[in-house]
Amino acid sequence: MGKNKEETAVQSTLPRENRRSFAKDLKRDWQLYLLLIVPIALVIVFNYASYPGLRMVFYDYKPARGWDGSKFVGLKIIQKVFHDRKFLGSLSTTLVFNLLDLALGFPMPIILALMLNELRVHWFKKVSQTVLYLPHFLSWVIVGSVAYAMFRPNTGLVNMILVNAGWIDSGIPFLTEKWHWAVTYLLIYVWQTMGWGTIIYLAAITSINGELYEAAMIDGANRWQRMTNITLPGIRGTVVTMLIMNLGKIMGSNYERLDSLQNTQVRDFSYQLAIYIYEKGLQGAKFSEATVVGLFQSVIGLIMVIIADRIAKKLGEEGLL
Amino acid sequence: MKNKRLFAVLLTGVMAAGILAGCGSSSDSGSSAKDTSAAATQEATEAATEAATEAAAEAETESADTGEAGMASWKPFAENVELKVPVYDRGVEGVPDVTNNYWTKWVQSNFGDKYNITVTYVPITRSDVMSDYAMLAASDSLPTILSEFDYPKLAQWATDGYLTTFDMDEFKEVAPTFYKAMEDNDLVKYSALDGDTYFCLAQNPYYETNYNWEVFYRKDWLEKIGYDEYPTKWEDRKAMYQKLKDEGICDYPLGGQMCTGLGADQNYAFRDYPQDEETWAVYGNYTIPALGSEWNRRFLQRENEKYSLGFVDPEYYTIDTETAKANFVSGKTLEFGGYISANMDFISAFYENNPDGELAVLVSNDTVDDDGSVPFAFRSNNPFGVMSGFSSQATEDEIKAAWMYMEWLLQDDNLFTMQWGEEGENFNYDDNGLPVSVADYDGDKKQGYSNNKDYWNLVMNIRTAGTIEDVIRQNTPSDVPNAEELTQGVIDNFYAQEKLAEEGYSVKDCLYATSIEAESEYQETLINDYKEFRDKIIMAAPSDFDATYDELSKNFADDGWQEVVDERTAAYENGQTTKLD
Repeated sequence: MGKNKEETAVQSTLPRENRRSFAKDLKRDWQLYLLLIVPIALVIVFNYASYPGLRMVFYDYKPARGWDGSKFVGLKIIQKVFHDRKFLGSLSTTLVFNLLDLALGFPMPIILALMLNELRVHWFKKVSQTVLYLPHFLSWVIVGSVAYAMFRPNTGLVNMILVNAGWIDSGIPFLTEKWHWAVTYLLIYVWQTMGWGTIIYLAAITSINGELYEAAMIDGANRWQRMTNITLPGIRGTVVTMLIMNLGKIMGSNYERLDSLQNTQVRDFSYQLAIYIYEKGLQGAKFSEATVVGLFQSVIGLIMVIIADRIAKKLGEEGLL
Repeated sequence: MKNKRLFAVLLTGVMAAGILAGCGSSSDSGSSAKDTSAAATQEATEAATEAATEAAAEAETESADTGEAGMASWKPFAENVELKVPVYDRGVEGVPDVTNNYWTKWVQSNFGDKYNITVTYVPITRSDVMSDYAMLAASDSLPTILSEFDYPKLAQWATDGYLTTFDMDEFKEVAPTFYKAMEDNDLVKYSALDGDTYFCLAQNPYYETNYNWEVFYRKDWLEKIGYDEYPTKWEDRKAMYQKLKDEGICDYPLGGQMCTGLGADQNYAFRDYPQDEETWAVYGNYTIPALGSEWNRRFLQRENEKYSLGFVDPEYYTIDTETAKANFVSGKTLEFGGYISANMDFISAFYENNPDGELAVLVSNDTVDDDGSVPFAFRSNNPFGVMSGFSSQATEDEIKAAWMYMEWLLQDDNLFTMQWGEEGENFNYDDNGLPVSVADYDGDKKQGYSNNKDYWNLVMNIRTAGTIEDVIRQNTPSDVPNAEELTQGVIDNFYAQEKLAEEGYSVKDCLYATSIEAESEYQETLINDYKEFRDKIIMAAPSDFDATYDELSKNFADDGWQEVVDERTAAYENGQTTKLD
């Protein structure tokens, strides 16, 4: 509040023609404001217009009966969901796998960006980047099909090679035994996302003042020292922001990823919230139960973002909010 | 600069319109395919609409007062009525767009235009019927007719308010031919749920046999290892499968594929005949596999044995139907089952890939095995084909248009044309005056999947012309090396199944005259559970079979199966179920 007052005071001392006025800005940059309508409309339509539908959690909602024909049940659906053994199981599995995703998937783009930044052969850097970005453009359905073609115990390419080379006696159940599946599932995610994730860090690295590197080199800093003392601190703010955003997804769940990689032998691990929501909401037409879970995911995500933001600020970072 | 500004305005406008396109009123929303179809038919409709409106203005509601019934009494609607008809979208290659093709236009010009009705087709994903209807209900765009083969789905739609009740007498007035067909086939009794009328039922000739679904096996392989025919008893079969493996003919004779859910793991071969009626009513319905029942245990024990003996691909649970079909076609497995038709892709492909191979049809018989099982006992179809209900979101006129459509479709000429197509193009008459489809017809009038079945199944489940043998001949491939032998196999199997039916080994599932709410509540969860549990049971070491089965049965019961059992038992005790024949 104090800061705002100061700004207002500063503005009032400026010559009249320099004062910022929204109308003037609008007149000058109207094309940009016009373009802004699109993302704002997107957010309004898909993020806010659906809010009234959240009351579904208090109704035994039947789409064909509408709101008037559906019964108001208070907290009954919420209680039902939170007493559902399958929900609780999928919740804990989701949490564990999201934490593992975070632990494995979050540092990888940073490491990769640092490595790419150190490449000195320009064309090799470009080719590497392209190769690394490519998996991002493959849908999970394709990734799943390829994964099964590669990792089936007996007929998967990888196992066939390993068996024929005499390195193993029988195929490794990469995708058909739950513990192996968990590792494969996590690594495929890292492979698919790490390249694309480097973009933001590489962009942050380019904003670091080159003179810092020159000074460090004159002082005799080797590459490792420049990386740890200049590059990493230089992108710290970006890392924290990305971490906060990723923590917001801690309760998220990706249906396509799970569906394309699951099979009946790994359901202990693959039965996560997205599958639960699909099973209840779409297959079983229980929209209220699916909405309860969706709302729960969002609330937890919001809480996580707020907590992470507060912690970041206490540690001296800018935070996100 | 000016151009840039203009570009910005246009770009923004297009993008905003794109976003907001999905926010229109749900009443006129729907798939783009439907819109395309509607647009295609709209033009043709407009001219007819004008004329029809004039005629209707004169006729007004005359039909109601004349005392006439059926088509003779129909007058065009004063206002154009949109009739939305569901049609399965099976994702099959080589068939015309299900919502917009020669035949949808033929319906529009021969039926819709005449009565001022715009017929639009709503595609329903065959493999995901419930989800599709749920989405349509949520967006207030249910088709006027909701149809399905499975009674429990219709029951759930009725319970969830998708369907409206109707007066059968009014239906009879509008659609007397359809009603009479229901009456003649004793189907009217299935039209009610909890005392309210919800359903119309299509005819299903020869329903007591499954002749239209056959298992084809490698006769040449059997001959190679010294077998004249496919053994019927389990011990003999085991020896045959083992010999196929031992002689290096195939690794996994039975191949195998993942459990697809509904209709999976039918245990009719492992039941105690004659069946106890209450057990049949509670555990016999195939819509949710009865994990925990003695019949299911016997079935899965056999599957476990097949797996442990190596007759089944150890990766079977990752093999989908198309891959299983490809495995058969490429000569990796002994047998494969499928619906018969004049143009069966896997049979043709098999002979292309295996010119020296020879297929035969596995013909049933009434063998009772040493352990008391009846290997060829089977699930009879329902006495009816597709069941139809009518949308609670539809207007009275739309529902009347739906009844008119069904009545019109059932008229001999119309049904024949939809089933067989145009003479000289889709079919020709043989020497006996019976129609024979042109299997490789690929012109403008190409029919939809299985001779347009997804359009005419609202009124009839199969194409019939002549005797059952004629019907089978019309629906088996004629352009494969041993076509006559295969056709004869299907005919033999028909008579064998008829004999099994006479002996009580063709089982009609129990139907409930009340909504089993636990089924609606838990069906999807239980089916998904079952897929997981049955694979664990099948893949368990034989010595662990009982322990695994008992443990997973308990989980299954806890996940809702016990509630289903309790409700079904109550329905049976209250006399709200069909009875064993």
